[in-house]
Amino acid sequence: MKAGTKAGAARPKLAAGFLAGATSRLLPASIPLRYFGAAAVFHLAAWIALGAGAAGAPRFVGGLDWPLAALHFVTLGVLAMTAIGASLQLMPVATRQPVYSTRLPAAIWWVYTAGVGVTAVGMGIGAPLWLGAGAVAVVAGLIGYGVLTARNLAGARGMAGIVTHGWIALASLAVVVVSAVSLAFTYLGWPLFTRETALALHVPFAAYGFMGMLALGLAYILVPMFALSPAPDETQVRVSAALAALALLLAGAAAFGRGYAMPLQAAALAAGAGAVALHLRLVLLALRTGMRRELGRSFRLVRIAWALMVASLALALATVLAPDVPMLATLFGIVLVPGWLLTLVLGMMQRIVPFLASMHKAPGTKLPRTPSSLTADRPLAIHYACHLCALVLLVAAAIVDSSWLALAAAAVGTLGAAAFLAFFAILVRRMRLPPAPRTAVPPTAPVA
Amino acid sequence: MNRWTEPDGIHIDVRGLQPPQPMVAILTLLRSVDDDRPVIVHLDREPQLLYPELAEIGWSAEIIDGEPGEVRLRLTRGE
Repeated sequence: MKAGTKAGAARPKLAAGFLAGATSRLLPASIPLRYFGAAAVFHLAAWIALGAGAAGAPRFVGGLDWPLAALHFVTLGVLAMTAIGASLQLMPVATRQPVYSTRLPAAIWWVYTAGVGVTAVGMGIGAPLWLGAGAVAVVAGLIGYGVLTARNLAGARGMAGIVTHGWIALASLAVVVVSAVSLAFTYLGWPLFTRETALALHVPFAAYGFMGMLALGLAYILVPMFALSPAPDETQVRVSAALAALALLLAGAAAFGRGYAMPLQAAALAAGAGAVALHLRLVLLALRTGMRRELGRSFRLVRIAWALMVASLALALATVLAPDVPMLATLFGIVLVPGWLLTLVLGMMQRIVPFLASMHKAPGTKLPRTPSSLTADRPLAIHYACHLCALVLLVAAAIVDSSWLALAAAAVGTLGAAAFLAFFAILVRRMRLPPAPRTAVPPTAPVA
Repeated sequence: MNRWTEPDGIHIDVRGLQPPQPMVAILTLLRSVDDDRPVIVHLDREPQLLYPELAEIGWSAEIIDGEPGEVRLRLTRGE
């Protein structure tokens, strides 16, 4: 940094409010918040659905029942819902392109949210027609989101590594949609692929492809932003993305490659492990070198999620090598979805939601709000303890094949989800109130 | 990144930096300011993600005139 003197002072002209002009490239607060709110509600629904299907949960490997409903309340209702809300708000920051339309994200929310509810309930009560109707709405919502995101990515300037992650996630979404339609139509008697092939595509492309690539890509924005660290090395970000893309291609080939499935799956996992190792190296470096070292409970969840991401790959390898061990498939699903992805999303949401909400002015005032003033800490503390406890109980239920432990996990998880919903409701309520007068922080005080 | 002082305050030019580097540079500078001088920031675009961070440490931002294609902010401590 060079210090010196330069002629020509700035000419003050516009004494605007705190967020003067900033709102022009922001979506209205109601759009991301409706996605986050729906995610908080579906999170609660997921744990309740798990409780309803606790008897079959410890050895669950598919089929219409409440464990399948719980799984999709999480994947579609929480993970994809949050990813859509967050990426609609954050992708324009990375790509320097505004969202093409503000009406379309609102319309997508209505279609998608209704679709998720009908799909998951259809799975739970074993009604293929409900499932089919809901799947049509879900697919329509995801296609609308895909079109919006593709337009944004196509005009992107800068941050090529993150944009690459976005494209891989969108390509994966296409595979997820096709395989999901095939699976849904299996129950109606019109499958596109065999159930085994559709599942072999659906699981890796939904978890590691669509959700995983969004999680990895958005982490390259969010982690440096919250840690206040330099942006990750662009070349390494692209190498990680390339390895992940290779892993997904190999997993896709394994779904069709009868006779070669095991070596292809093993190769996919090796490439995926390389992508994950590079990703973790970059984000952990950002955390180590950032101005803000203490990121609180939310990033403790994020770090746990990263450990579970690695564990999910190890368990995936175990299922490839020992496909006949009944516990492994369920354990892999638990570590993958509620373990890695749900924990990561909930940890990030605790920071993103107050942060994005604070970018919008309180009604009738120019005073800014701070993320901390919008955050209710006690519900988050309850959620933190309950979420981790529920995960441990769920893993134990799978290991010892106990429906009682699964029921206990569901009960504790429900309590945690209710606390998380309370955190969100309090935030929305505080957004409607005028902010308290601020006092300046002394210059020596830490930023965090 | 350039940093200099003028009668209207401390200037910092973060144009050309990849996010979140502008935000990191600005917040680093604000932490070192120990008086009531304003800070004038020269940017490529409006730093939307900076505003919550500023609010959290008690600084305000207003847009002022800058060069064509530039977004210039005047940051002051307090409201």
